[in-house]
Amino acid sequence: MPTNFNMKKYLLVSLTLLFGILSAQAKLNVVATLPDFGSLAREVGGDLVTVSVMAKPTEDPHFVDARPSFVVQLRTADALIEGGAELEIGWLPPLLQNARNPRIEAGKPGRIVASQGIRLMNVPASATRAAGDVHALGNPHFMTDPIIAKAVAQHIAQAFGEIDPANKATYESNYKKFEAAINAKLQEWGTAMLPFKGQSIVASHDPWPYFAHRYGINIDTFLEPKPGIPPSPSHLAEVIAQMKAQKMKAIIVEPFHDRKIAERVASATGAKVVDFAQYPGAFPNTDTYIKLQDLLIARLSAALK
Amino acid sequence: MKKIILLILAMSPLAVALGQTPAPTSSPQPSSASVASDVEILREQVHALTETVKSLQQQVKDQQAALEKANITGSPALPENTPSPASTTASAATESKSATPPPLIPTQDSSVVASNKPAAAGPAPAGIDANGAALPGSIPTTDNSVVSSSNETPVTSSAGSSLTAPITIGGGKNYMNISFDGMFALAYSSDPHLDRVEVGDHDPQQRGFNARNIELAFDGAVDPYFEGFANIVFKLDNDNNTDVEVEEAFLQTTSLPFNLQLKAGQFFAAFGRINPTHPHTWDFADAPLVAGRLLGPDGLRGVGAQISWTLPVPWYSQIMVAMQNGRGGTAYSFRNPGDDGIFFDRRTTDREIRGLQDFVWLPRWENSVDLSPTQVVLAGVSGAFGSNDTGPNTRTQIYGVDLLYKWKSAKAEGGFPFVKWQTEAMYRRFEAGHGMDDLFPVAETFHDWGIYSQVVWGFKKGWVAGVRGDYLHMTDSEFTSDFERQTRSRISANLTWYPTEFSKIRLQYNHDFFEENFFLAGRDVDSVFLQFEFILGAHGAHKF
Repeated sequence: MPTNFNMKKYLLVSLTLLFGILSAQAKLNVVATLPDFGSLAREVGGDLVTVSVMAKPTEDPHFVDARPSFVVQLRTADALIEGGAELEIGWLPPLLQNARNPRIEAGKPGRIVASQGIRLMNVPASATRAAGDVHALGNPHFMTDPIIAKAVAQHIAQAFGEIDPANKATYESNYKKFEAAINAKLQEWGTAMLPFKGQSIVASHDPWPYFAHRYGINIDTFLEPKPGIPPSPSHLAEVIAQMKAQKMKAIIVEPFHDRKIAERVASATGAKVVDFAQYPGAFPNTDTYIKLQDLLIARLSAALK
Repeated sequence: MKKIILLILAMSPLAVALGQTPAPTSSPQPSSASVASDVEILREQVHALTETVKSLQQQVKDQQAALEKANITGSPALPENTPSPASTTASAATESKSATPPPLIPTQDSSVVASNKPAAAGPAPAGIDANGAALPGSIPTTDNSVVSSSNETPVTSSAGSSLTAPITIGGGKNYMNISFDGMFALAYSSDPHLDRVEVGDHDPQQRGFNARNIELAFDGAVDPYFEGFANIVFKLDNDNNTDVEVEEAFLQTTSLPFNLQLKAGQFFAAFGRINPTHPHTWDFADAPLVAGRLLGPDGLRGVGAQISWTLPVPWYSQIMVAMQNGRGGTAYSFRNPGDDGIFFDRRTTDREIRGLQDFVWLPRWENSVDLSPTQVVLAGVSGAFGSNDTGPNTRTQIYGVDLLYKWKSAKAEGGFPFVKWQTEAMYRRFEAGHGMDDLFPVAETFHDWGIYSQVVWGFKKGWVAGVRGDYLHMTDSEFTSDFERQTRSRISANLTWYPTEFSKIRLQYNHDFFEENFFLAGRDVDSVFLQFEFILGAHGAHKF
């Protein structure tokens, strides 16, 4: 009976397909809003996870387009890693409304909010937008401090272990490896930055208080007069005067900021423009968190010499 | 267990004490002589701290006993449980630079992470919540009932929706996001009756100042199953009287299985690109002709329900089907009694629902793919089917196609630079009957259609330039003299400045051509609008 045979064949094919899909899903499907969380997820998850990242390492993390393909990523995610603390408030909420994925609902183990357990810096006493685009909950760019990155990695490992208890031990040992690597690197980075303790540098915007705190440098002067407000000539004149008075040697600029303004200020003051980034992958060979920090420390210490 | 706690207790004040040791002033690098004196100071401090630890030890024992009595297990006493200086705030921590013994840099910092207790050392992974109250992870959240002295930030997820704790907005606490949007326009037109030139109800309607869209928006998690949204719009008419519209008020499910979502309440029909969006998100100061004339001046919206399903395919593909009452001015082409009971010159029937055919049925299918990491395309087809009020059994069908292309730089700052191209075309088949009691002499079928296409270019942070072309074709009728049935076209150009994402100023020029028809003469109209807008309150997320 040919019909019956076809039926069996069809069933077999669909079962094989189903099995294929199921075994593909044996890996944890992790979505990270930003590349730094993605890098940590890869460190902790290793071969047990597939990680997709929404934002590009070179773009402004507050203004990512809520493109529909992200809904597809979120729909099948076992875990979502977000910064929280208003970091992705401009684009993540509509995606989550559309994702319809109970695994990553708020409060579920699959919803990993990296800022949880982190003491945020620069919490404004009162939230007024007259001060520019301030973050009412504090500065959400905490991943620039490797010690905080360790804590976030630990948080991720714990969450992975909860979602995928069979591999809990692996996640924990992967985290331990990452922790040890960061601890070792911190000595290296700390040593490299030690000669510049107490020095002041300039940044185009202010995602760096955690970085500055970690290495004991001051990043309190910005090309922007207020967060999110473009530099004005009069403000730049003040910055130049201040840089000359304090002999500041470096201006750090992120990929999405206007490098020309920084170059103009640099040429007026003799300072160097240093290309910086918060996100792994922003520069060649910086695909992991540690590699990016290596590059940042190398660039900054070279510029300050 | 107790040893671990003691260790933490002993270490955390020590770490902070180290952190707070006054650095040799004005010298970033301590000399070897100052190191010796530092060591002496430290020794004294350690001695003092040992005393503190001893007293704390007793406290901890008491608390342990109390905890065991209260049958709370698995939750180790946090360092913050004691009046130790460990609960320094982040701001205090910033002052503690340059205090680490060179050349070592600490690998732990209790001032930035709530607790650095290693995972393995924990007696058990801290409380895994049954109801989302506690945090996962061996980074235990600071227990607010225990951490009393610190003024640290409440660590809350921006999208957090705990049932018991209000979410934090703007440094305060609230159960929902609230925002206020005021949109105004200063208008000039060569036609004194701007309200007959502009097709949208939120468009400028008179020479001089217009306040057509002053909006209160609310949204938030209702409970673990629903999210709620509401938009209440205040509109000043040309006599400065205030109209209030419940533009949208609906709830939406969050966790139905099989990628389904239900929506119910008053909402904009998911028809094309312009219709479901609020005027303040539009790239132009006024509605496209085809949207205003075929879907209606207020957009097609009503009370109803919608189910949507995202297809299990590798790209974004969603099918939506909604039904709405389809009655009144916000269902313009459907059971709309019209102004003073007249629509397209016919006295309308204004009838009640007789069956499912009298609802408006709204299917839509949309698909999106990423052409490259910087380019996205979204395309959709929509339909709207229902009865109209110009006869006992007259029907209306509207079909639409829409296309959106967006490029955004991989190095975008604040979302700039970008290029966005958006086009929509619609066709309406409208059976205009004999009206109430068969009083109108003829029945006609109108085949009306139109298209608009617009390109906006965000060429610099905060700056957007746009051009738009519009065409609207209305069936010329020898029996229906309605001015809204005039075939016309328009070209528009504008320049918008967003000082921040919370304000905008837009200058727009429109040139309108009206084609001569059986009743009306052809004419040209020039209009200029200066639109300005501000937003207060919650940061509105941007849908794609």
